[in-house]
Amino acid sequence: MSHFSTVKTQLRKKEHLKQALLDLGYVPQEGQNLVRGFRGQTVLAEMTVKMNTGGDIGFRWNQGSKSYELVTDLDLWKQSIPVERFLSQLTQRYALNTVLATTAQEGFQIAEEKKNIDGSIELVVTRWDS
Amino acid sequence: MPQRTLRFKIRQDGQVEETVEGLVGEACIHLTEKLEAALGSVEQRKSTSEAFLREEVQKQTIPVKNH
Repeated sequence: MSHFSTVKTQLRKKEHLKQALLDLGYVPQEGQNLVRGFRGQTVLAEMTVKMNTGGDIGFRWNQGSKSYELVTDLDLWKQSIPVERFLSQLTQRYALNTVLATTAQEGFQIAEEKKNIDGSIELVVTRWDS
Repeated sequence: MPQRTLRFKIRQDGQVEETVEGLVGEACIHLTEKLEAALGSVEQRKSTSEAFLREEVQKQTIPVKNH
């Protein structure tokens, strides 16, 4: 019996997912790699984070939802924060990186970036149009 | 030369709210579409009546979702 759990996410773009993981201090590997779980069980994922203790964390492309889903053995979850908190932190970093990259592509510059008490991030970008 | 300003609030769960100040017409929609392709959904607000106007002589209503 497999111990792996999958969690749906809103993470769609690989490069922003990779940057979000790096922002949170994880070192992701791209390409098909094995995610290790309970008693040597493994599952394939397109982006993986190898863990020294506990199970690995993987992200597997879901063609149906057009997004990456988290795949990990939750019995072996050894991170300092629960998996739900990990995913929301990751999704926030992903969203921030996406907004920064997309607005920069469109010629916007950052005027202000601040973190609010409620944990949200506020970003103001501007562009002069002729 | 108008200055376009966009405000984003990225909530702790990753939900993004976009507020448009003075950005009008197709450029605005184009940007939001690109964001939605990567984020899934973006909540959009218009903070000024400017957002409804393309030029002074031409009036255009922008079909965006309001939440």
